[in-house]
Amino acid sequence: MGSGFFTDTTLCIGCKACEVACKQWNQLPADGYEFSGNSYDNTGELGGTTWRHVAFIERPAPPDAPAAQTAWHMVSDVCKHCTYAGCMEACPTGAIIRNEFDDVYIQPDVCNGCGYCVPSCPFGVVDLIVPADYTFGRRFESDGRTHDDATQRTGGVAGKCTLCYDRQKIGFVPACAKACPTESIQFGDVDELRARAKRRVASLEARGVSSYLYGVDSDSSVGDLNAFFLLTEPPGAYNLPERPVLPSTHQPAGYASAAVCAAALALAGFAIFRR
Amino acid sequence: MSTPIGAGRPEAAQPPRPDAAYRGAGDGEPLPAHVSPTYYDRPLLKKPHWEWEVVTYLFLGGVMGGCGMLVAIADEDGEDRELVRNARYLAFGLAAACPALLVGHLGRPERFLHMLRIVKFKSVMSMGVWGLVLFSLPASAGAAAQAAEDGLMPDWLRHVALRPLVKPLQALLGAFITGYTGVLISSTAIPLWAKGKRYIPALCVCSGVAGGCAASAASLALTGGAEASFAKLERLETIAAFAELALLFGFERHAGELGAPMYRGERGAKLRTWTMGLGIVAPALLNAVPVHARWKTLLASALTLAGGYVFRETLIEAGKASAGDPKAAARQPE
Repeated sequence: MGSGFFTDTTLCIGCKACEVACKQWNQLPADGYEFSGNSYDNTGELGGTTWRHVAFIERPAPPDAPAAQTAWHMVSDVCKHCTYAGCMEACPTGAIIRNEFDDVYIQPDVCNGCGYCVPSCPFGVVDLIVPADYTFGRRFESDGRTHDDATQRTGGVAGKCTLCYDRQKIGFVPACAKACPTESIQFGDVDELRARAKRRVASLEARGVSSYLYGVDSDSSVGDLNAFFLLTEPPGAYNLPERPVLPSTHQPAGYASAAVCAAALALAGFAIFRR
Repeated sequence: MSTPIGAGRPEAAQPPRPDAAYRGAGDGEPLPAHVSPTYYDRPLLKKPHWEWEVVTYLFLGGVMGGCGMLVAIADEDGEDRELVRNARYLAFGLAAACPALLVGHLGRPERFLHMLRIVKFKSVMSMGVWGLVLFSLPASAGAAAQAAEDGLMPDWLRHVALRPLVKPLQALLGAFITGYTGVLISSTAIPLWAKGKRYIPALCVCSGVAGGCAASAASLALTGGAEASFAKLERLETIAAFAELALLFGFERHAGELGAPMYRGERGAKLRTWTMGLGIVAPALLNAVPVHARWKTLLASALTLAGGYVFRETLIEAGKASAGDPKAAARQPE
């Protein structure tokens, strides 16, 4: 099987080393200094040039809890590298491929910036970015957030996590997994990771922590995720869809609807014009 | 939820199993009050980057497809000769304008060619691009033959029309182009669009046919044509427009809360005024006036076309708003 990530949120300490390592290795621009007020999360979301995002859920304990404890959850979010990837199916140029490591990769020189992958990702991962500028040695100049929607008109391309295709090529571990100090992000063979993750859920259960795997043995149309998560909260709390839906599953109904309507109007037209 | 060992919380205070919602079993159980169902209400999905170029393309593509259908539906050997001529020229002109808009929105024009590297049945956009490219063949052949007939081009070009082949092809591809845009939009993760998978493609077809009729009628009013042609166009346009109206109401009911970005607030008011009111009902009333006048046709056509543009614009802008609703995006329509 291919390679992927197992992100164990019970081990995450919210240090954001993964975010920094990703930005460093992939030469991605910073996200600016905007204060969100949403716990320690000033990154906000994954984006065209933000390929790891540490989400923070910080809230007071329930009122009836005995001790004043704060619920304190972090998760390092990333592109899920779906088995059936919405972005890849939508791409009209074939720029988005599944590479030899079974990961979903965007070829920036083939991408033409049509932007169809952006609304086709059920996880809201892919976004458009200003094109690579190889002359000045900068791979990406900025993302859509700082330049609003100008990216497409100025010839943008789609950007997202490559699962460090370049590092994997030379046998290195992806930058985020390498930098993670607690092994909350584990990289490896997906089958192996899944087995390890299931053992982890059982071990946590034995210690009184209920958790579950998001993206393993799922009944969603996107299939299992090459980058899956061990979570302790409902998916919505981490801004993950409860049950992601593969956009292409809507196509049969859509084509049928158009065909029926067109046939009916053509018949009406013939009745009117050819009587 | 990670209850520390020995925290001694009573069993009753435990929130429901965290995976309940994910596995679809916890639908009936509301989350405890202190648990937010969203992540700081931040958007879960990315909004599409489509601006006026794409809206205009969706609109003109619909009109173009409608004209393509008319070329085959109307009888060029009968009284609708002028109508077929105008529909051919319109389809040809729009087939030239549409790629220009698509190229424009890609920023760097040469990148349009990347679409032509592959034919991909899974990608509605790839299908649409090929539909557009293929449509330009019968549209050009038909227009060239028509121009030869009208004495604008060398006479031998008459023969490129290959009527039994070109006309059905133009009609089929035209119908495809009116509809695929709706399929493209609804096969995304945007909740409003995905919810409309049975409505949006049909809406696009209706709006396209009505727009094709309106554009042809307007051109006929300017160049002159048989009175009967106007009457027929008006009838087909009214049927398509009222089917669109019914579908708009149907989609509003079907979409429920997910339809709010399209049907409520300022956007909803604009849709009701420009598309449903001035774009559908007003032209039908105008057409019912038993006067055959150029100004009446031009006004009715302009209103229909404006309504068609506002429909596309509302659809795209409402999709962007829908992408920003994390609650809708967390429970994606199947």
